[in-house]
Amino acid sequence: MFGVCHHCAGGCRAGTACADRDDRGVEQVSTVSTRQTWKSRFGDRSGYGMVLPYAIFFLVFVAYPLAFSLLLVFHRWNIVTPMEWIGLKNFSRLFQDPLFYASLWNTLVFLLLHIPAQVIVALGFALLLNGRLRGRGFFRAIYFLPVVVSGVVVTILWQQLYAYDNGLLNGMLTAIGLGRVPWLVDPHVAMPAIAVMATWKNVGIYIVLFLAGLQTIPTEVYDAASVDGASPFRQFRHITLPMLQPTMIVIVVLSTIGGFSLFIEPYVLTGGGPMQSTLSGMLYIYNQGFYFNHMGYAATLGFVYAVIILLIVLVQRRVLGKEEAA
Amino acid sequence: MNTTRVVIGSLAALLVMGGCGNQERRTAEGGAVIELTYWPAPNPQEIQLADTLVRRWNAAHPGIQVRMQPIPVSQSTEEVLLAAIAGRTTPDVCSNIQPGAMYEFTRTGGLLPLDGFEGFDSLAEIRAGAELLETFRSPDGHVYQLPWKSNPVMMFYNKRLLREAGYADVPRTYSAYLEAGRHVTRDINGDGEIDVWMGERDIRPIWWQRLFDFYPCYIAASGGKTLFEREAFHMHDSAAAEVFAFFQSCYREGIFPRTFFQGGDPFILGKKATHFSGPWEVATLRKFAPDMEYGVAPLPVPDAMTGPVYTYGDFKNIAVFSTCEHPEAAWAFARYLVQPEHDLLLLELCDQIPVRTDLVTHPLFADYFRRNPVMAEFGKQLQHIRGIDAAPDLKEIFDTLSQVYEKCSVYATIAPADAVRELRARTVMIVEWNK
Repeated sequence: MFGVCHHCAGGCRAGTACADRDDRGVEQVSTVSTRQTWKSRFGDRSGYGMVLPYAIFFLVFVAYPLAFSLLLVFHRWNIVTPMEWIGLKNFSRLFQDPLFYASLWNTLVFLLLHIPAQVIVALGFALLLNGRLRGRGFFRAIYFLPVVVSGVVVTILWQQLYAYDNGLLNGMLTAIGLGRVPWLVDPHVAMPAIAVMATWKNVGIYIVLFLAGLQTIPTEVYDAASVDGASPFRQFRHITLPMLQPTMIVIVVLSTIGGFSLFIEPYVLTGGGPMQSTLSGMLYIYNQGFYFNHMGYAATLGFVYAVIILLIVLVQRRVLGKEEAA
Repeated sequence: MNTTRVVIGSLAALLVMGGCGNQERRTAEGGAVIELTYWPAPNPQEIQLADTLVRRWNAAHPGIQVRMQPIPVSQSTEEVLLAAIAGRTTPDVCSNIQPGAMYEFTRTGGLLPLDGFEGFDSLAEIRAGAELLETFRSPDGHVYQLPWKSNPVMMFYNKRLLREAGYADVPRTYSAYLEAGRHVTRDINGDGEIDVWMGERDIRPIWWQRLFDFYPCYIAASGGKTLFEREAFHMHDSAAAEVFAFFQSCYREGIFPRTFFQGGDPFILGKKATHFSGPWEVATLRKFAPDMEYGVAPLPVPDAMTGPVYTYGDFKNIAVFSTCEHPEAAWAFARYLVQPEHDLLLLELCDQIPVRTDLVTHPLFADYFRRNPVMAEFGKQLQHIRGIDAAPDLKEIFDTLSQVYEKCSVYATIAPADAVRELRARTVMIVEWNK
């Protein structure tokens, strides 16, 4: 290792003696220290101190679990007994596992219901809250409230709403002469019911994002359009929507990632039923890992899902990005 | 300031402070005190029982002091104990060991075999008898659990609801049950909605839910067989098909609802006439439905069935962990827990059934059973119970069973014979996968 020698300002080898003559011709000897080498190489170390807490957090809670779960993919492990190397057996199991395909299908169905609903509802409320509305701050807070309430609490609340015999929704339906709906026990209705609940829970975040997006659109553009005689609908169609495209991309990507994390709702409400219609990918991973102690297989499911999410997000960005460019 | 040194120093200090020191206690005579840790179940009744027993023990044994600490609350005791075995933080003694989890506990070397301790054979004979004890024997030939209590799943029935439907006696066979169900299940107030059901079960496909419908009925229908024999899946297809068909009829004929009830237990609310549950229900009924006229009876069985009606008994046994430094002292404490007077306390305080072959004949319990005739029925059922097998992949197999049960019995999308075939095929696949 070479360092900057304070004596001759040359690149002397660390730990060696440097002999040089000063202005008066007297030979000076000094030792080039490794400390000087470190400092000269990496500069002031206070920056490292600053990032150290996060670096430790990242290493302990992100990098290590990620590396460990990658290792688990090739092992059988039940937490207690030693890990057993099984090569690609977890993958061969996964591709033969009907519940993996069921959970993937259910998650995709959820995304198809959840993302459009999320975007439409959030944009609608954002447009309302962006206008001149009395008590705008109050409404913004109200719509954001479900986001900060615990998922389990919200799910239990909706369980009461969806109750067949004395739930609020069925009470309203019977009051207007309609029949009761078995919200959580009909295989065709359970996932849409969960999607409605998840939309209600998360829409506040996307309202805020859309509001931020709306406020970046210059008012001059609308003024010019008004002068040209454009109706509010045409202004929305040709100004608002195109200029919200970057926000839309973010929201769709975030919704997709969030949708793949669907867990609390089916876990609490349905246990993955009826007929596995609400068995989400995350719930299946949880069951394999923490019910059956198949940590290796759960890690494999997790990695396959991560790859699927990555592919879907890349496709989304490509498609929406093209639209944006157009 | 050297940031690295400060951070490393702080972490080291935290680790040192996080450690716990062990101070050796001494008796009045100067001898070292043996300290044992005992984990009972974390429900209030059992904590009260454990507290009472530990106080008495500590007063009588100054040289062996027991520290009682309820099992940390989690989704299941098995998860907590497995994590404790992995971290070598197990207690010395635990009285909430489920036989179904024994496969993993023993495979990890987490437990001590009890059959080597003095007096085990005679004690086990009193507790379980030879036949039942064999079901607790591990594949290595050792017994790692001392039978402590079991809660047989039986049929609670609301006498008034049956009487109003014209039934003086509780139905004992599938056809009688279905017949009674057609009369009991009805819309009382004429609003077009059913107000009283014959029965109801949680239909969510969660593995342990099947311990309260399919599994006990399967044990009853098969004359006391479980799903495994010597760790191999060994289902009696005809019994399984009959049980699938019975529940399919219950849902198809509308005497069981395909829904979840909200706002309380429908049996307590008088919304259903029968309820499959264990003796813990007695305390609940005493508290929330003190005026209800109810009884308990064995589970319904196929019409052609003869002989005693078996059921699933939710066993919780006592084990000593391999981390125990004083096994003899731990064994002495385990024996103390199962003394007859402590079994009586288990009945009195917890409304739970101690596993004893002489439970209904022992004079010590006679007065209790005279005062609690419903509990006496559970006591009688104790002679005909089966637990859950200590088999690998048990939870996953029960999870599969739940899914097949849902398909066949609740939604009737497949026939009972097909359900049996599917369950067998999927179970074989699970066992193969996890080999």
